[in-house]
Amino acid sequence: MRFIIPGATILISIVYLFLTYNLPQAHVGDPDAAQKYPLLIGYALLVLSVLYLISELKNEEKVREAFRIFSDKELTIKVIVVLALCLVYTYMFEPLGFLISTIIFLGALLFLINGVKKWLLNIIIALVFSFATWYAFAELLQVSLP
Amino acid sequence: MGVDWGSFAEGFSTAIQFENLIFIVIGGLLGTIVGMLPGLGPATAVAVLIPVTFGMEPTSALILLGAIYYGAMYGGSRSSILINTPGDGSAIAATFDGYPMTRKGQAGQALTLATLASLVGGFIAMIGFVFLAQPLAQFALKFGPAEYFFLLLFTLSAVVSLSKGNMLKGFISMFLGLLITTIGIDSQSGVYRFTFGVPHLSEGVDFLVVIIGIYAVGEVLYNILLLKDDSYRIKEDVGNKWITKEQFKRSFWPALRQSPVGFLIGILPGAGGSIASMISYSTEQQLSKKSDEFGKGAPEGLAAPESSNNAAAVGAFIPLLTMGIPGSGTTAVILGALIMLGLQPGPMLFQNQPEVVWTFVNSLFIGNIALVIMNILLIGFLIKILKTPANILYPIILLLAFIGTYTLGYSTIDFFILMIFGVIGLFMKILNIPSAPLILAVIIGNQLEQNFRMASVSYDSVFGMMTASPIAIFFVIITVLSVFLPMLLNRLARIKR
Repeated sequence: MRFIIPGATILISIVYLFLTYNLPQAHVGDPDAAQKYPLLIGYALLVLSVLYLISELKNEEKVREAFRIFSDKELTIKVIVVLALCLVYTYMFEPLGFLISTIIFLGALLFLINGVKKWLLNIIIALVFSFATWYAFAELLQVSLP
Repeated sequence: MGVDWGSFAEGFSTAIQFENLIFIVIGGLLGTIVGMLPGLGPATAVAVLIPVTFGMEPTSALILLGAIYYGAMYGGSRSSILINTPGDGSAIAATFDGYPMTRKGQAGQALTLATLASLVGGFIAMIGFVFLAQPLAQFALKFGPAEYFFLLLFTLSAVVSLSKGNMLKGFISMFLGLLITTIGIDSQSGVYRFTFGVPHLSEGVDFLVVIIGIYAVGEVLYNILLLKDDSYRIKEDVGNKWITKEQFKRSFWPALRQSPVGFLIGILPGAGGSIASMISYSTEQQLSKKSDEFGKGAPEGLAAPESSNNAAAVGAFIPLLTMGIPGSGTTAVILGALIMLGLQPGPMLFQNQPEVVWTFVNSLFIGNIALVIMNILLIGFLIKILKTPANILYPIILLLAFIGTYTLGYSTIDFFILMIFGVIGLFMKILNIPSAPLILAVIIGNQLEQNFRMASVSYDSVFGMMTASPIAIFFVIITVLSVFLPMLLNRLARIKR
């Protein structure tokens, strides 16, 4: 568990360094100009991540303590479902248009977080708020929405 | 040199235009509402509400954002006092004596006192701003790429070493932020970097999407994990709103003398409201004859940190507007918004668009007064809002995050970036990895790289860059100190024990 984050940042820095070395050369001026700075960052992140990994060797208790926030199964599942809904919203945003997709998204979130018992309130908020934001952005601020 | 009173007066007359007054009131109210939500602070408030400024004239947009920021600061202390839940670091000290006052049935008085103390802090800091900003901007005109590079580096290292959590985590967070800013076309050589063939990425990752992801989506996800009980036990009856003569007497001087302290701390990068309010609280505790009452509802224990953190909030605008250097996550968000509005904060802003700067400064002052009036008159209304279940507000904030993101680039590809940073923000919060270094790095990363590369053309070695001028040497020294001094002090403290 405690190696997830340092492991991830080590992986990120290695991939980043690999990509940096494979960057195309610049046609004007110093051919390596675009690489130098990313290399600096990549190596710095790698060194720091390794140090972090070493420091985490002593810290097992703390990390386990921090992850205890996921011990409430119900709430953890809620967060995952929220993320899934975000993904669904992303895919239906353009095909269905702003208004319909937003009513569905907000309504679903409210049913999930505010509970099924308050269904009437949820539906009213989803409808009113979606219309209000659509009106504010599309009509008042002239933002073009799908 | 000196104070440009002409522009100041012009700014004042623009700020009191009816339209702008309306923006001050709307921004203040919106900011207060978001800032009051437990766990959400000014950074989130500004991040989610940025899209509201679309299509507006830059000056009005700036006024609105300033009011949102200020409103969120006021709102933050509301939730500290009433439900013992600070919205961000700078509101923590308000819980020490504010919440005990609530428990003694003096909630109304505590709210009024905090509001008035904030006004004192804001007012004194504003005077400081008027006299200090212009000379600093003049001074910053002398900076070349090498000086700027080391100043930016110092800002980053100061934010890392002062942020909570350990420094190693802070630096990792910072370098991740810098890494993100290298995505996109390299503006000097035209090379596509790390775009993976996605055309939308050629302009780089929009830093506002990163900000909204971490501060809005990440925070909401985190707060959903903590949802247990949707009703806070707030009594509708807050008692008397008006403070007593004794409370006034006890808190007037502390509020007044802690304002300059907060202001000066606010100017330093990395320090900001959290440190200012803590320092003010502890010095007042030491100065007080009734120090045993601190923590049990002493009015001066609430007034001192509240005036100090508000003064710090104004102080933070000095490096932000004169040098383009944000000192904290929240001011970094504001810098992001300013850049989006087409304003480039820095010494040239005072020369090219002085009216914008001074209108903004005046609007902050008017906004302070407006917020005091609103916060005292609307105590009942604000408490009703605080009673609105978080269960309803969190979905709405999440939705606003998505809409805001869409309006930034008109592409749903940004939604994926938003979600990625939301999840990153969630884990950073859980593992206590400070997010401010990442946010700051994302915003000033490009500037850092450009200055670094320009400087490395003028000076053939890093050593040449470091010794480019006395100013550069100074920044190098304080950067090194900001990294190693805290480590050294830690060691010493451990040895003593």
